[in-house]
Formats: sequence, C-alpha cells, structure tokens
Amino acid sequence: MLLSKTVRSSSTLKLAFIYVIAFCAAIFGLLGYVYWSTVTYLYEMSDRAISAESALLTKAYKAGGRDGLVELVNRRLTDGYFNDWLYLLVDHSFDYVAGNVKSWPAALHGNEGWSTLAPGDWQSEAARRLPVRVEHQLLPDGHHLLLGRGIEDLDRFGERVTIGLASAAVLFLILAAAAGISTSRRSVARIEAINATSREIMRSGLGERIPLRGTGDEWDGLAENLNSMLDRIEELVETNRQVSDNVAHDLRTPLTRMRGRLERACHQQLDLSHYRSLVNDTISDLDEILVTFSSLLRISQIEARDRTAAFRDTDLSEIVREVVELFEPAAEEKAVRLQLSASEAVSVIGDRDLLFDAISNLVDNAIEHGGDRGEVRIAVARCADGPVLSIGDRGPGIPIEERNHVLRRFYRLERSRNRPGNGLGLSLVAAVANLHSARIVMADNSPGLKIELHFPPPQRAVPSMSDQQERSWAIGPHRS
Amino acid sequence: MPGDACHVLVIEDDAETADQLVDCLKSSGYEVDLAVDGEDGLRRALAADYVVMTVDRMLPRIDGIEIIRRLREAGIVTPALILSALGEVDDRVRGLRAGGDDYLVKPFAFREMLARVDALARRSGTMVKETMLRIGDLEIDLLARIVRRRGREIELLPREFRLLAYLARNAGQAVSRTMLLQHVWDLHFDPTTNVIDVYVGRVRRKIDSGQDYPLIHTIRGIGFCLRAPE
Repeated sequence: MLLSKTVRSSSTLKLAFIYVIAFCAAIFGLLGYVYWSTVTYLYEMSDRAISAESALLTKAYKAGGRDGLVELVNRRLTDGYFNDWLYLLVDHSFDYVAGNVKSWPAALHGNEGWSTLAPGDWQSEAARRLPVRVEHQLLPDGHHLLLGRGIEDLDRFGERVTIGLASAAVLFLILAAAAGISTSRRSVARIEAINATSREIMRSGLGERIPLRGTGDEWDGLAENLNSMLDRIEELVETNRQVSDNVAHDLRTPLTRMRGRLERACHQQLDLSHYRSLVNDTISDLDEILVTFSSLLRISQIEARDRTAAFRDTDLSEIVREVVELFEPAAEEKAVRLQLSASEAVSVIGDRDLLFDAISNLVDNAIEHGGDRGEVRIAVARCADGPVLSIGDRGPGIPIEERNHVLRRFYRLERSRNRPGNGLGLSLVAAVANLHSARIVMADNSPGLKIELHFPPPQRAVPSMSDQQERSWAIGPHRS
Repeated sequence: MPGDACHVLVIEDDAETADQLVDCLKSSGYEVDLAVDGEDGLRRALAADYVVMTVDRMLPRIDGIEIIRRLREAGIVTPALILSALGEVDDRVRGLRAGGDDYLVKPFAFREMLARVDALARRSGTMVKETMLRIGDLEIDLLARIVRRRGREIELLPREFRLLAYLARNAGQAVSRTMLLQHVWDLHFDPTTNVIDVYVGRVRRKIDSGQDYPLIHTIRGIGFCLRAPE
C-alpha cells in the first residue's frame, strides 16, 4: 500500500491535496489562456497576409483586367517565397484559367468568403497542400479567384503547444501530489512519534521521552518542550511521592506509639494517674501529628499561590525587628546573641503573616543550630537589585551538596534526626520565598551558615492591577 | 431562657462533634441550644439573644459564612466563633470578613474552643472599659502603662506589657498560644515552636520571681492563664 492509514487520514495530506488542486486549476487557466491567445494570433496573422495578397491581385485585375491578373499569378508561381500559397483562377463555368491547382474544390460552392479546407475536401493534386485556408472572390466578369495558404504548420504548432502544456500540467500535478504526500508523511511521522510516546507513558509511566531528530526544526522544538514538561511533571510526581512516603512515615511512628499506649490501657489494670498520663501523652502525640498535617497543608496552599490577594506594602525591617524581639528570650536561654541591623525601612510587597512565619523559622533554626554561646547576625539591607534579608549563624552549617535538599519537605540533615522538628521549616521558607518571587541563597559564613533572601525590587514585585487596587484601599486608612 | 448572660448557640451538623461541643460548654456552666443545619441555626439566632454562637463552616442548606452575613445584615451582632475543617489560609480571612469574630480550625482542643468562647462571651457582656486591672497583688494601669506588684513597679517592654494586659483582661481563663500570637503580635498562624512559651517565661520571671505566689500559670495542652490564688 502506497500510503499508510494514518497518512491517508492525515489532515496535512488533505490540506496538501486542496493546495495541489487549487494550484493546478490556476496553472491550467494560465496555460489555456496562453495557448488560446497565441494560436488565435497566428491564424489571424495568416488571414491578414491572405487579405493583403488578395488586395494586390484585385488591384492588378482592376489595372490590367483578366490578363493582368493572370500575369501576376504566373509571376507569383515562379517566386519561391509563395511556395506554400495556393492560387486558382477559374471562369464562370469553373474551368481552369490560371494557378497552381487545376480543379475547383468540390466542397466549395459559389459562396464568396473564407473557408478552411481539410484533407478530403478537395480530391485533386492540391490535396498535398491541405489543410488550407482560402478566400474565395467572385470577380466582376464572372471569374472566381481562390487564394489560399497552407496552415498545416500552424496546426502542427498548435498541436505541439497543446502537448507541451498538457505534459507540463501533468508533471505539475505529479510533483505537487508527491510534495504534498511527502510533507504529510513527514509530519505524520513526527506526530506519530509523539503519539507513540504518549501511549507508552500512559502504559508504563513517565520515564519515556519523545525522540529528537537533531534537526532543530519546529518539530524538534515541540518535542523538546514536551520533554521538559514531562521532566517537570516527573519531578513533581516524584516530590509528591516522597512527601506522601514521608507523611506516612512521620505519621506512622506516633500512631504506632498511640496504638500501643491505648492497647496497654485496654488490657492492663492501671491506676488513675497512669491512665491520665497515658491520655495526656496521646493527646500531645496527636497534636504533633496535627501540627505536621497543618504545616503541610499550609505549604501546599502557599505553593498553590492563592495567597497573593493578601499582599500589602510591608516593611521588612519592622517584621524582622518583631521576630527578633519575639525570639530574644529564646536566644537568651541558649546564650545566643542576636545581632540585628535593620534600621531603615525596607519596603516589600508581601504577606506579613507569611513573612513573619518564614523569618521566624530561619531565626529559630539559626538559634537552634547556631551552637551554644553563638551569635546570630540578622540584617536587612536595600541592595541595588532589591531588598536582601540575611541571617548568619556560627553553627556547623550545611554541606554544599545538601543545600538544595534542605528546602524539600521532611528533609533532615543526618545530625538533626534526633532533634525535635518535622523537617518542614525550610520548606515553608522556600514556599513563602517562592510566593514573594524571592531567591534563597545559602552561603558559608565560615564558620556557620548564612541564608539570604533576595527579594525582587518593589516595582517588579507588583502583582496584577486588581491586587494593586485592593492594596491601595487597604493602605488608605492606615496612612490617613 | 435565651438572653441569659451564658446562653450559647451551637450550629453543627456532625452529631458526635455537636454532642461533644454541647457537653463541653455545659460542663463549664453555659446553657446550650443546638441547631443541626444552617436554616435552623439562622432561625434560632434571629429569634433569640445569645451571648455567643459557634458556627460550623460547612453546613447543610445554609453555609456558615452565609448565616453570619445574614445575621450581620439583620443587625444582630452576637459574637460568632467559626469552626472550620477547611484550610486556615484564605478561609480564615473570608470568615472574619463576613463578620465572624474568631476562627478555629478543626480538629481543635476543646479547651481551646472553650477559651475562645469565654473570651467572646466576656466581650459580648456589658464589659466596662476599665483602665485599672487588679489580679491579686498585681496592678496594671492600662492608661499609664505601669505594672506594679505589691506596690513595686515592674519594668516591661511594650510587647510584654501587651501580653500581660491581654492575660489580665482574660484573668482566670485559659488563653492559647495562637490567641496570644493573634492578639499580642497581630499574627494569624499557629506557632510551631516553643518560642511563645519562652517569651511568656520571661514575662513570668519579671512578674512572679521573688513573690509570695505565682500569677502566670501554664495550662498543659492549651497555653497560659493569669490568676490569683483563691
């Protein structure tokens, strides 16, 4: 089979055929017009030459009568130039008088005017000259003058033109159809590759990728985009899977503890105070689970970006000052010194609650991991490319290869596995930073860890118009 | 009879939760009416004068937020505590915007719920705007922002003063960490660390150290309470 079913039903092929038909119609029209006008012109020119000669003969007849005419005709017959011409002068009874044919054509009767004689119309020695175009003239004294010229060349020329044009048209058709089919085949093949990959993905999973041809054409572009989309989806699915695994793990441990406790309560005789402490432990385990749960939900909601409606013009320095004030007692308890430099107001478009929560997490981490008797430096500055918040501690820091992982949900460094915490703090920071289009930079504080949040410059962070309206409405009463 | 200073309306469609709510409120001395769907709840809230109502966010027939909106339109200002299983993020804002007075996400500790109902009930009562609070031998002058214990002035940072004043206004009642974060810091999220405890600890040291008896107590599973011994 010349074409596969997919190619036959391809829309590209249908489109190609429509183009071929339209193109051929245009070509046929053009060629037809060229043919018609050329051939008509040639026949016209031939008729005109006959008319001119006829006028000359009539003039000779008028000047010298029948003999003058005969003399001119005879002169013409000896002239090589008029070789393909036909002359015949007959008297009133159609008997030969002069000319290069002897008998009057049977097909032609007494009528004057133009005729075209085809082979078979004239059974005589003149037949070799046919076809011929003739003008029949009746002279005043009853003689008939037949003047003509062979048009076999013209006919042949017409035929040649017709054959040429027809072959050109057929060639066009074949070429256009071939081009259409090959284009459709190519595009169908590329689409089929994409389809095959999609089917494979539906069947076996997200591991498949669309093959590239390396041509750099738009098909490769499409395939590349689809592939990177698949990469992103795979990454998200993987993260999700990890999160669910971790949730399962983080929930299972306390749930197992609780189950064990309840079983004990059920099967053993305990005194009242035992029961009470058992119930209290269970409640605090449940609370822990609920905190983990709502932290997760909170992060997902922040990541879903349905929170920008609460964005206001906020002072980052003020938030940081409040966080530091809140954490001062906690730092004191661990003999950690909090060094704050955030004197000037630094405006950030954002959500105060979320920023406070995120910065709290960072400060909390710095105090927690910064080591006893350490120092935590917190600074807010307005840099050239936007506001920057930096928090540096003197703790052990985070190894370079782990810096990207710590932003993931439930990720915990080996050394902090045994400390309290659910491994969600930095994920929340990452989600909040992302929502505010802020960049997180982790650097070596030698020794210690320095985390920086680079916020976009205020004009770039401005969300949509409707948000802006709401914001100005919200700020209004504040300013007045 | 509705109209008493301690009559509470509970609008809750889940039977077991409703039972627990009613039990918990009754055992702390409230009279409780229960409505099991939105329509019933709205009718009761319109008909009688309650001191506080708790409204489930998702209800059959009429949605919890819609009930509060209609009540506010009708000029009824009964303080409403919204209890919601929906996520805290935007829903809290929506609920408070519709005229809700406080918001609690399910699941919650019943004592936390009780603490919030108490707070709303006091607000709803004909509370005189006092400028001087006295709890045991502690005196708080809200205007001059001065704290004295046994006549001796105690120096507090502004935020510490706000915290103490909030505890004092709710003296004898448990106050949760989230409530503190909300009213003292104006932040609307649940603290995941013990930072509030440490902060309260510092205020406690300033207030209670070297005194005859402690005033600031930690209530396990909930938060804190400022109270003088009986």
